Amino acid sequence: MKATVSDIDSSQDASQAGSARAAVPGVRTSDGGASSLTFDHWGYKHASRRHFAVRDLSLHIEQGERVLLLGASGIGKSTILEGAAGLIGSQVDAIPAADGAQDVTAAVSDADGGLTEGRVLVGDDPVQERIGSVGLVLQDPDAQAIFQRLGDNVAFGPENLDVPRDEIWQRTRESLSSVGMGELKLEHSVLHLSGGQMQRAALAGALAMRPGVLLLDEPTANLDPDGVHQIVKAVRDVVDRRNCTMLLVEHHAEPWIDMIDRVVVLGLESENNAHSDIVNDSDHDDMDRSAFRKTVVVADGTPEEIFTDHGLDFAQLGIWVPERYRRPEDAITAISTPDEPDYPASQGEGEPLLRAHDLSIGREGTAIAEHIDLDFRPGQITALVGPNGVGKSTLSLTLAGLLKAVKGEVIAEAKLADGLVQSDPYTWKSSDLASRISYVFQNPEHQFAKGTVMEEMLLAPQRSGMPPQEAQQRADDLLERFNLKRYARVNPYTLSGGEKRRLTVAAALAAAPRVLLLDEPTFGQDRRTWMQIVRLIHSLRSDGVSIIVITHDRDLVTALDARVVELAPQGSVTSWDAGSQGSRDMAHIPVSPMDMRDETVPPSSRSPFLASLNPAFRVIGALVATLPMLVSLDWVSATVSLVLEVLLFMIAGFTPWRLVRSTWPLFIGAPGSALAVVLYGKSGGDTIWQWGLIHVTDRSVDLAVATFLRILAIGIPAIIAVLGIDATDLADSFSQVLHLPDRFVYGGLAGMRLFTVLQDDWGALTASRRSRGLGDDNAIRTFFPQAFALLVLSIRRSTTLATAMQARGFGGAGPRSHARLSVFGARDYTYMVICLSVPIIALVSAGVLGTFTFFGG
Amino acid sequence: MTSTTTSARPVLRWRVVDIAVASVIGVASSLIYWLVALISTGPWNFLEAIIPGFGGVFNGLWLFAGPLAAVIVRKPGAAIYAEVVAAVLEALMGNIWGGGATFVIGLVQGVMAELIFVILMYRKWNPSTLVLSGALSGLGCWGYSFFTNLQAIDWGGSYGIIYLLTTLVSGAVIAGILMWYLYIAIAKTGALDHFASGREVRGIAD
Repeated sequence: MKATVSDIDSSQDASQAGSARAAVPGVRTSDGGASSLTFDHWGYKHASRRHFAVRDLSLHIEQGERVLLLGASGIGKSTILEGAAGLIGSQVDAIPAADGAQDVTAAVSDADGGLTEGRVLVGDDPVQERIGSVGLVLQDPDAQAIFQRLGDNVAFGPENLDVPRDEIWQRTRESLSSVGMGELKLEHSVLHLSGGQMQRAALAGALAMRPGVLLLDEPTANLDPDGVHQIVKAVRDVVDRRNCTMLLVEHHAEPWIDMIDRVVVLGLESENNAHSDIVNDSDHDDMDRSAFRKTVVVADGTPEEIFTDHGLDFAQLGIWVPERYRRPEDAITAISTPDEPDYPASQGEGEPLLRAHDLSIGREGTAIAEHIDLDFRPGQITALVGPNGVGKSTLSLTLAGLLKAVKGEVIAEAKLADGLVQSDPYTWKSSDLASRISYVFQNPEHQFAKGTVMEEMLLAPQRSGMPPQEAQQRADDLLERFNLKRYARVNPYTLSGGEKRRLTVAAALAAAPRVLLLDEPTFGQDRRTWMQIVRLIHSLRSDGVSIIVITHDRDLVTALDARVVELAPQGSVTSWDAGSQGSRDMAHIPVSPMDMRDETVPPSSRSPFLASLNPAFRVIGALVATLPMLVSLDWVSATVSLVLEVLLFMIAGFTPWRLVRSTWPLFIGAPGSALAVVLYGKSGGDTIWQWGLIHVTDRSVDLAVATFLRILAIGIPAIIAVLGIDATDLADSFSQVLHLPDRFVYGGLAGMRLFTVLQDDWGALTASRRSRGLGDDNAIRTFFPQAFALLVLSIRRSTTLATAMQARGFGGAGPRSHARLSVFGARDYTYMVICLSVPIIALVSAGVLGTFTFFGG
Repeated sequence: MTSTTTSARPVLRWRVVDIAVASVIGVASSLIYWLVALISTGPWNFLEAIIPGFGGVFNGLWLFAGPLAAVIVRKPGAAIYAEVVAAVLEALMGNIWGGGATFVIGLVQGVMAELIFVILMYRKWNPSTLVLSGALSGLGCWGYSFFTNLQAIDWGGSYGIIYLLTTLVSGAVIAGILMWYLYIAIAKTGALDHFASGREVRGIAD
């Protein structure tokens, strides 16, 4: 569909692939160069929504321009970026109308069930025809890592663009060094990267595609200040050098402002009012779209022009105004809430509720910080600060009775323990904990346990034995106060991000705890929801709750006037010194340095020979060596093959003990099958024992012995031959050696990487359930709801992962290249011959000795 | 539960998100399969010793990935793909059936779970089709057992018949009807809004 469109201002005529570069002198890239980006009456309606997210948007961005896109939460900024990246509306070709110019306004449906109107053009071409010329970096760094190894993630985009192998690695190294990660090994595991590094790796992945347009969707929202600095610097270097066109969506404009040429503010125009709404007046996060007609640009200009425009309400737009443009009302200062007690929030009042005494914290018994002494008083707000991954959550989980202290004590004073004999919260029953200390997790979905908002609210009070009327009353009050009343019957998972956050805080308060801990409550929130959350937290002081927030958000600390407890790695500079925080109460906790070592990649097998084989051959060899054994069930063939296998594995470098250790599950499973055969197997010869249906005979005993041996003979090589294969290598081999379709092979591989993420999720789910009073149930009753929560989380994560993969050009019908070569040769064929010889020798032996029994007879 | 039937012409080409979600269902299932294999051995042997073939009641716990992926993703081969992904991952971890062989049994169970949806041309999605899918998968599991570890037992004898019945019931209940309700519950969280199957439950028109 290459319709000529007359009604767009196309001043960049000459930007077809090669010629764009010529238009911009001094671009040092080897291809593409900057492209312009044009929305031409573009709109999109998600299949799951009643109304268009974006409609009739016309916006033209010149090549090389760096644009900051602003708009209220829910106006469709992410949809616009997804459209610009060609991720939505891309699956089905539009049906061109008879007259080219008319098809621009016709809505076209796609494989996702969404509706697209109009077009997005990169240069002069529809975005779908320019795969790879638009790079997209998303908010969540974890969601963008597809492979285990750093280099493979960066190489993924070029592979999908069918770039030749040598060039892929050249681009990978270039991209990594341009984001300042050139010193890391390509094999470095993404599990060992910090948030800032992960996000830079995602940026490198986008850059390796040599995009002409770089789209950034809140790329720093989940990062600590150091991570933000890393990303901004990397983007700046790259954009300067490559002269990319850039489109940025970000609430915190401050760190970016020097590189921004143009700011565009979006609004909605509705049928019944001529003027454009740019704000969302309601307390609800979804904008009212019932009469929505058009997404419009309400302001467009230089940063200077926009940020000094007094007609714009940046607080309502959810934007933090950069410092240099701040008006008095834009500055963040300590807030006050009605009924606030008169003592300062940083100090609280009265005797401590909770104390840490000579406490050592850590996971799995290794202390990361020692000798911690802290008091937490009623009405006090404490901020635990420090870089991502330093151990803030370890400390807070320990204080909340969710993690065992390595040494020393967490002491709940009498007022908090409230009748309990034990003073250590870790020893409390889950239902006792829920009414005393509550914990709000960073990811709200780690916390949900019920099907409706109201049930969520009633859960902890019920578990801790609050009378039903009181629980109901409290739930109603809290929902009212947190503006969630109308959602009482709604499934909590379906709320918007800000609403979910409010619900988790409300639910944590429902059981009237005296201590409340909140893990990164303002992560990824725009200024509007940020303000709501800050006010809510602050208002809890009047209830005499001791509040502990884990955060790296300086504005939050300022607004709450909190006491600061900083965790910093030993030897590093503490960044929250008293100087920058005025006379604020400060405490420092030295933490052992974060582990940043380069791990050595373990070999893919204990046997150097096996490790040197192609993974597909290893898998097929295991099948070839074992499946023929099914032809005969007799003790001779089973014994011969077992002996041969053990000998071969010993030659290959395994000790018999290692074989048993690696295959232990077989030694549990095999007796079960053998037992069934002894009792109920085919009978013959003398009867040894008969009772009911049980009939043990000479023959059934012989068959049981053969079954047992054969399960080992089949199972041991099948496990040993494949144990330790790296999933990425296996996928490469499936793709290149077996020629299975890449879409499924690498889609499956990406799913497998989530496996490690899911293990962490499981840990968080377990802790959150204990915190909410669900931890006392027996294992079976807790397992299924928790497994359900994990499944929902994993489906969400994989949905995001699919977006990230598509943003790297994955999933198209075109040819792909392979960065990693999956090779095989004489060694692999030799291995196959050995594998095949084992069952042949075993079965022939059985034939010669006359024990061969075709399929058990 | 009302029976649901999708439109006459479902889109059968796999999107990336279909692959990703089917994979992750396989991945999550593999973890549960692996755990169940460890935990169930004791009770299994106990049941077997009392009533021949009664261990089959556990079999549904290794069959659910296929029907669940099928009803959510609704693309050709979804059941096979999810069971095979689960089996491959389980094989890489090592289990009581041995690595390579797990792959084969996963394939057999996946193909059997897929069968009913092929016959109905991916148009009918309701509790009954899911029950059939689970039961057929159970049939595959049963057949495979007698082809391999239980060769020494007469599949037409009392053990074989009881084992067949328990496996079929287990497949129909655990991998069938329970997966239908699990799918409904997941859809209600909004996690399946990218899928026609999820929007149907939430009452959002396409």
